[in-house]
Amino acid sequence: MAGFILKRLLQAIFVILAVTLIVSFAIRLSGDPAVMLAGGSNITEKDLQNIRQALGLERPFYVQYLSFLKGLLVGDFGRSFMGGTPVSLLISKALPATLLLAFVSLLISIALSVPLGVYAAVKRGRWPDQLIRILSLIGLSFPNFWLAIMMVLFFSISLGLLPPSGMEGPESFVMPALTMGIILTATNVRLVRTSMLETLSQQYIMVARSKGLKDRVVLYKHALRNSAIPLVTYVGLQFGSLIGGIVIVERVFNWPGMGTLAFDAISARDYPVLQGAITVLALFIVLINLLVDIAYGLIDPRIRTE
Amino acid sequence: MKLSTTLKALGLAAAVALAPLAAPAQAAGTVTVAIALDPGSWDPIDTFVVDWSSAANNIFDGLTARGADMKLKPGLATSWEFLDNNSRIRFKLRENVKFHNGEPFNAEAVKFTFDRLLGPEGKKGPQQSNYNSIDRVEVVDASTVDFVMKQPDPVLLTKLAGYGAMIVPPKYIQEKGDDYFNTHPVGTGPFKFVSYEPKVSLTLEAFPEHWGGAPKLDKLVFRMIAEANTQIAELQAGRIDIATLIPFGLAPTVEKDPKLSLISITGPTVVALRLNTQNGITKDVNVRKALIMGIDRDAIIKAVLLGHGKPIASFQADLSFGYDPNLKPLPFDLAKAKQMLQQAGVQPGAPIKIDFRGNDATFREVAQAAAGFLQALGLKPSLQPYETPVLLNDIIPNGKTGEAWHNAWGGWTFDYDNTAYLMYHSGEKWNPYDKDPKLDAMLEKQRSIYDVKEREKILQEIARYVADNALEIPLYNQNTIYGVNKRLKNFEPPADRRFRFTDVTVE
Repeated sequence: MAGFILKRLLQAIFVILAVTLIVSFAIRLSGDPAVMLAGGSNITEKDLQNIRQALGLERPFYVQYLSFLKGLLVGDFGRSFMGGTPVSLLISKALPATLLLAFVSLLISIALSVPLGVYAAVKRGRWPDQLIRILSLIGLSFPNFWLAIMMVLFFSISLGLLPPSGMEGPESFVMPALTMGIILTATNVRLVRTSMLETLSQQYIMVARSKGLKDRVVLYKHALRNSAIPLVTYVGLQFGSLIGGIVIVERVFNWPGMGTLAFDAISARDYPVLQGAITVLALFIVLINLLVDIAYGLIDPRIRTE
Repeated sequence: MKLSTTLKALGLAAAVALAPLAAPAQAAGTVTVAIALDPGSWDPIDTFVVDWSSAANNIFDGLTARGADMKLKPGLATSWEFLDNNSRIRFKLRENVKFHNGEPFNAEAVKFTFDRLLGPEGKKGPQQSNYNSIDRVEVVDASTVDFVMKQPDPVLLTKLAGYGAMIVPPKYIQEKGDDYFNTHPVGTGPFKFVSYEPKVSLTLEAFPEHWGGAPKLDKLVFRMIAEANTQIAELQAGRIDIATLIPFGLAPTVEKDPKLSLISITGPTVVALRLNTQNGITKDVNVRKALIMGIDRDAIIKAVLLGHGKPIASFQADLSFGYDPNLKPLPFDLAKAKQMLQQAGVQPGAPIKIDFRGNDATFREVAQAAAGFLQALGLKPSLQPYETPVLLNDIIPNGKTGEAWHNAWGGWTFDYDNTAYLMYHSGEKWNPYDKDPKLDAMLEKQRSIYDVKEREKILQEIARYVADNALEIPLYNQNTIYGVNKRLKNFEPPADRRFRFTDVTVE
């Protein structure tokens, strides 16, 4: 088992390195931050050189990259080009906001998709099943930003119930989490339904039924527990992609999270902030995958020897 | 039936549960303004971002100031005179002025501010180059300073009203350091710093001891909201009082709302299509003039800007020093333009490529409209969007553009020099094609003249010369638009978004 974990850890480190390298290289193709910082008016080449020098941009790429890695080892992501705020400070404020939003969205999606999925499976082929499947298809087809804007129009502008943006209190969570949650629910409902159908066709369910157990007991005590396994796995992985998909939703709701941070950094060619933000996000996704892998290895010894 | 009853009950429950949460966030005497960007530092020498000024103009004062009407007036300096053949400017400073931390404002503070700006600390930021004409600042006495000039700079007094030249407290910065100052700014302005949450908001409160009198508001909050739709939603929900980011297409949303007013005033930004004078059909000055006459700017302003702009004859707004009201653009005349093209020997279907900034949604529509007019002239226009930095740093400076390219400009000094010199002087980044000694001479000459009338005359000559040579198709001066909650009183919207909330009150 130790060997398995070690191997997975090494793989994870390699992935992180690859991600940081690609991000650091790619953002440097996007243009000169000195020009962005200079504002483009009344500026001479000498001024630009001064700014580049102050930012350490005159060094060759590999030197800049290595110094970024060196900082990474001690948790120092450098300073934002826009005003010099330490990147670690920006991330320490943005990361909890994003994680919290992702977590609440996941909870919403589980709370909605499990009962709906089970219900659809039980009513297989009948109108409630059709309706749930059509709704989930509609949910899948919504672009999340459209859903977000519609919610703002309805809840904030028409009804005046919820704040349209920002992160000020529990009420601020409702719309962004619901937006993410609805999109996730659309996928998860289908997963629960399929998995439930499969479980319901298993012999032990028939046995349980034939013993005369009540439908509800069979459904929730026997079937759901077993069909939950793929869902739990999937949700674990979903958490990773959720953080990636949150960028647009954060922007619409002006949510002070990692998505907003990365988005602004791209617009401003703020290399250190973007490098830091992407690295931390990648770290998270890799970490979750690693945990899922390890958990698998623990549960099922066959996976270890693969 | 059952389902709908349940839903109704749920909806009602939710409404009751959430209702108290949606109570207006505004306290009496607080104004909340949305700005698009977080400048990251509130230190005047670190930034050029307009959003910095929108907020920090309330924290800091410059030696000179500019009102919402864009007219220059005394700030921390009460008067100034030019000495020693204009190589020295003597400023008389306002007395009994205090910084927010209690430190006195005096000649030493002015010297410290400019030593810092022109020294190593200023080198790291984008502001130093604006003040390179200053050699040094000398203290004469506690309330008098001399600016010793390296070279004449007629625009300097205007520059002193903003950005890098804002006066900062020497003792505070020396004791606390630059990093602390970045996030805890102290100035002499009407509002003082309370708190700053990066990427979220900046909160200020009234500084009752301000030399210009106490502000009438208690609190001022700036929220950073980068998305225009979100700013408008917050405005409609009554949670911000001023939205600064309103695309022309969304202006009607604000106009229709009875609680809001849309303010649309002449802004600093002008838009033109610069022309390649070395290659292609635009090499011929008569062709260039024909192109100007073939595009109906009024129609574009009406259709795309929804009327929030006006046509221009030179590359400047009418707020700009050097603007000539008598200079009229060539009139729209399709038949005449066609005839001129024919006379110049331009074949029907001749290609004309327009390079533009792809992320500018408004201009994309403008370019499409312009292409429509060019097509009506019998040409074959094509549109080439670029990523802005690529266009600005590679395509234009290296002379790789098509026949026409998009140029949008908003000089913060409101002085035609800032635009004209960079656009038309030989060898400048923005001028890849023309080398005109006569134009160069005029541009250089006005830079050494402090006589306002004489300088204005030369600037107007330059504008006329550029128009005669049809170096560009002048399109329009776009308005600055704000969405404002009607509860605001005495709000004078500045054309350049550099607010000053001294006299504003709320109902």
